[in-house]
Amino acid sequence: MDNLLHAFALALRNIKRAPLPYLLTVLILSLGLGMFFSNATLYYWLNHDPLPQKSHSLFYPQINSVLQPCDSCTEPMRVLSYQDVQKLSSSGIPSAQAAMFQSAGYARLPGNSDVSPTPVRLRVTQRDFFTLFDVPFLHGERWADDTARRELILSKASAERFFGRSNVVGETLRLGNELFTISGVLQDWEMLPRLYDVANGLNSARSADIYLPWETAFDLGIKSNTTTMSRDERDYSDNFAVNGREGQFYQAQFWVQLDSPQQVTAYQQFMQQLVHSEKEAGRHPRPEANRLTNILDITEHFNARNRQLDAFALVSLLFLLVCLFNASHLSLNRYLASQYEFGLRRALGCSRSQLQQLILADVAVSAALALFLSLAVAAAAMSLIASLLPATRNLTSWNPLMVLTMAGTALIACYLVTLYPALRASFGSLNRQLK
Amino acid sequence: MSLTLLFKSLLQRKVITALLLVQLTLTLALLSNSVLLSSQAYQLSNQPTGLQLDTTLAIELKPTDENLIVHPALGDLIQRQLAALRQIGGVRHAAFSNQTPLLFGGMNGNVYVEGKQDTTNIEMVPYNFAEAELFDTLQMTLLHGRWLSAEDKNTDNVVITDKLAKQLFSDSHLAIGQQTNGGNIVGVVADMMYQRFASDQYFGLFFNRDLNRADYGYRLLLQVEPQAVAAVRQQIYDSLRQVEPEIDIQQVVSLRQLHRDYFEQERGLAILLSVLSGLMLVVAMISAYSHALFHGVQQQNEIGVKRALGASKQRILVEVLSESWLTTGIGAALGLLASYLLQQQLATVISLPALPLWLPLCGALTLLLCVTIATWYPAAIATRVSPATATKAL
Amino acid sequence: MITLTNLSKIFRTELIETHALRDVNLQVNEGEFAALTGPSGSGKSTLLNILGTLENFDEGDYLLDGKSVKGLSDAALSRLRNEKIGFIFQSFNLIKDFSIFDNIELPLRYRGLKASDRKQRIEQALELVGLHARRDYLPGQLSGGQQQRVAIARAIAGEPRILLADEPTGNLDSLMARQVMELLEQINQRGCTILMVTHDPEQARRAGRHIQIVDGQLHDSTLYQPLAAVQGA
Ligand SMILES: Nc1ncnc2c1ncn2[C@@H]1O[C@H](COP(=O)(O)OP(=O)(O)OP(=O)(O)O)[C@@H](O)[C@H]1O
Ligand SMILES: [Mg+2]
Repeated sequence: MDNLLHAFALALRNIKRAPLPYLLTVLILSLGLGMFFSNATLYYWLNHDPLPQKSHSLFYPQINSVLQPCDSCTEPMRVLSYQDVQKLSSSGIPSAQAAMFQSAGYARLPGNSDVSPTPVRLRVTQRDFFTLFDVPFLHGERWADDTARRELILSKASAERFFGRSNVVGETLRLGNELFTISGVLQDWEMLPRLYDVANGLNSARSADIYLPWETAFDLGIKSNTTTMSRDERDYSDNFAVNGREGQFYQAQFWVQLDSPQQVTAYQQFMQQLVHSEKEAGRHPRPEANRLTNILDITEHFNARNRQLDAFALVSLLFLLVCLFNASHLSLNRYLASQYEFGLRRALGCSRSQLQQLILADVAVSAALALFLSLAVAAAAMSLIASLLPATRNLTSWNPLMVLTMAGTALIACYLVTLYPALRASFGSLNRQLK
Repeated sequence: MSLTLLFKSLLQRKVITALLLVQLTLTLALLSNSVLLSSQAYQLSNQPTGLQLDTTLAIELKPTDENLIVHPALGDLIQRQLAALRQIGGVRHAAFSNQTPLLFGGMNGNVYVEGKQDTTNIEMVPYNFAEAELFDTLQMTLLHGRWLSAEDKNTDNVVITDKLAKQLFSDSHLAIGQQTNGGNIVGVVADMMYQRFASDQYFGLFFNRDLNRADYGYRLLLQVEPQAVAAVRQQIYDSLRQVEPEIDIQQVVSLRQLHRDYFEQERGLAILLSVLSGLMLVVAMISAYSHALFHGVQQQNEIGVKRALGASKQRILVEVLSESWLTTGIGAALGLLASYLLQQQLATVISLPALPLWLPLCGALTLLLCVTIATWYPAAIATRVSPATATKAL
Repeated sequence: MITLTNLSKIFRTELIETHALRDVNLQVNEGEFAALTGPSGSGKSTLLNILGTLENFDEGDYLLDGKSVKGLSDAALSRLRNEKIGFIFQSFNLIKDFSIFDNIELPLRYRGLKASDRKQRIEQALELVGLHARRDYLPGQLSGGQQQRVAIARAIAGEPRILLADEPTGNLDSLMARQVMELLEQINQRGCTILMVTHDPEQARRAGRHIQIVDGQLHDSTLYQPLAAVQGA
């Protein structure tokens, strides 16, 4: 203990002796670490697995179902039509499956028709959505089945916004011109990255306010407000309940849960058979192009990686390298300057392990300082990045584990930076130093 | 001091020199590539738009009452809104459309010459609802044929942009009278920047038709007197609410703002990289500074000896500087290589033009300048050391 | 060739003023071998530094070859040192990163000599000190006595007219010290004026002239010329 205190006192004294070079070293290190941390944070949120316990079992099926013949069209559509969903849902293989798309609408309490309505983010989906992505319920429960029903599921925040409280199961809410009963309220829930909506490049957008049954949306003519594509001449602004269901109107994402490799193979075979029978019926004129993509590969599959951030990540890694080299260069200089003192210490009987203690104390002090500074740099850098690339705005939070990792990184970086110089200063041949 | 001697002393301090070189190399590589990216972003944002960015305003709105989002109530609402907007002082023209130039998203379809789908098909062309006044509202230029009039309402007649006409018919005046899947071409207008992620950002097809449903909302576009822009923007909300309160005005923006967002990604990355290269220069300067400072102190004795042997202060200064010039020079040479390597790496991730040689060369000069400035002060201090003290036995 | 008149040197620090030299008058002629002795702290090194223009002085004047060094620019003083004066230090002061050859070459470079001239002179100097075989060694690879001989070679390679040596044998054993002394005598015989600080009475005796300093004041035991005579010269 006494030794340790002595070591820390010496480390501090060393700093006091040459504060400027020391601070510059730490500053450089913090700049590098800070930029790196800010990037690593974005990168982490963009690339981490939001559902580690079941991500391996979630898949996105696609078939090349467009009815216009085209031999060179070997990629299926990114989004699915109602017909696609119907066919792909019919296998009975997955333990859960749900089609979905994002939309927007206006909601208000039934009584207040003179108050202007509130714009809300909608997700049109089926009951298994909440199972697929482990969405926790606060009150009520998911829809009883996938038939059309005037029932909404609200996020906790929107329940509180409209009613001032969260337990609003059984209340009614007006969405557009229709009245709905509220059948469930979710707990606070965000999935980052929002891998189920990558097809639209919305992987870092916020979750929906209101969830609406799939069939109901078709009945009411509610369409996706993101990618929609039609491949025939129907007028989709008219009688959507029929046209939307029968026509080639592509707007939906579809997810299935396949728990075992056997299920995956079975589903693949099912898709093949489906396409073959469709081909026989003359409903699949394009080349067969079945896709079954795991949720962890979906970003790559839709080519939806944020390239700008990738480029920046590469560059900030280089910057960290530069700063590490720079800082170790500086600390080498610093240690060489006190080499004489080190030599003298050893001549006076200081053992190498004691010397190591001195160095470790120095590293600890530097790391603490560097961590503090680098967090500040990272926070500044992230707010700059968020203002320049608004798509990243929701990706800038830190959890305790991340901060801990950063602290560890700072410690390792400081140690690396100090290691060689310290070794050289303390293990160099004695006589040369004292000559 | 002679080059060979400098080299020898650099070789003596292998590790320090290596550290310095790695750092200089990376700095230069990064510096030149971020300048490259910035200049690319700058070029992109300076492409001609064919639009009056500052005096054109776009209002995005959607009725909140579902009775209003269907024809004919919708068409009536739009006409009443346009009439009200034209009343605002400073508004020169007002027109409705389904989408706004420069704004991501909208209605896109393929276009081909009728009967020649195989050879002329173009995917992703913006399909724009256009009434007569849209021409003046966007201050378009007519190149061939005529613009759409009220008589064209709900007919098959369309107007296309110059670039689309050239793509379809190789010469744009040949387009007049031709039949495409989108309609019969009656006119060609000069290029406007419409949809960045369409097949080409200058493609556009215009037709005059009633909007049946406004599921995705609609846009009202205004051409405003330059001095009245701010005043008009303030009055838009009240004016529209008086016409119909059951609407959600999602945003009112000038095309200038949209243009800025249009290249947001490139601009953002360019700025980020510039900030980073600025930091790198600072880091390089700090490192040169502290190196010279430490070195000066460490070499006090050496400098004292040299002074005793007859080197003037100036000469010592040049020696210290030339050492940092030499390292910077070697670093710059390596950095030149690294610049090209990094460019290759970045080009695999994002679109990036080739690196012209002058860019890393200028970067190297900047680096040299920064290093010189940073070395100067500590070097000057080092020469001030009294040789008498410096040569004293320890 | 060296004339000091009423020269004084005061070191001022925050706490105290040290009169390192008081009213020193000294005349050294061409070809002399003078030994400077005196107790520690008496001002020997200070005097030598002033003679070598490494240090300036507060009062009096210093004429080198009849010309005052007062008011000369840094560049002029540097040239003067480079061309006329050679230094030998107690702690050798070789540059660690340079080979023996490079160390000796340094002052010749400063003088701007051609490479071939430099080489020739270095060879001669190395020959004289007997270290020709070790020309590519680094100083750290030599013994103390060898290092000092390199330092001497460096000092004489430029053929200076004055050699200033501050305890050149202070760090050497007696055998080495004798060798170095012999070398210096040899150099002196070629016409080079030598001023040497020493603590060794025997060395002082071997020198042609013995100057003693006590408390910053000179006691010249051999030749002391009155001021008037100096001015007349
Ligand atoms: N840079 C300096 N600042 C202040 N005082 C100094 C300085 N250099 C020398 N002195 C003082 O001047 C006096 C003469 O010092 P000098 O080095 O000439 O002694 P010396 O005769 O060479 O002694 P030694 O035989 O121990 O080498 C001493 O009292 C010393 O403390
Ligand atoms: Mg002395």
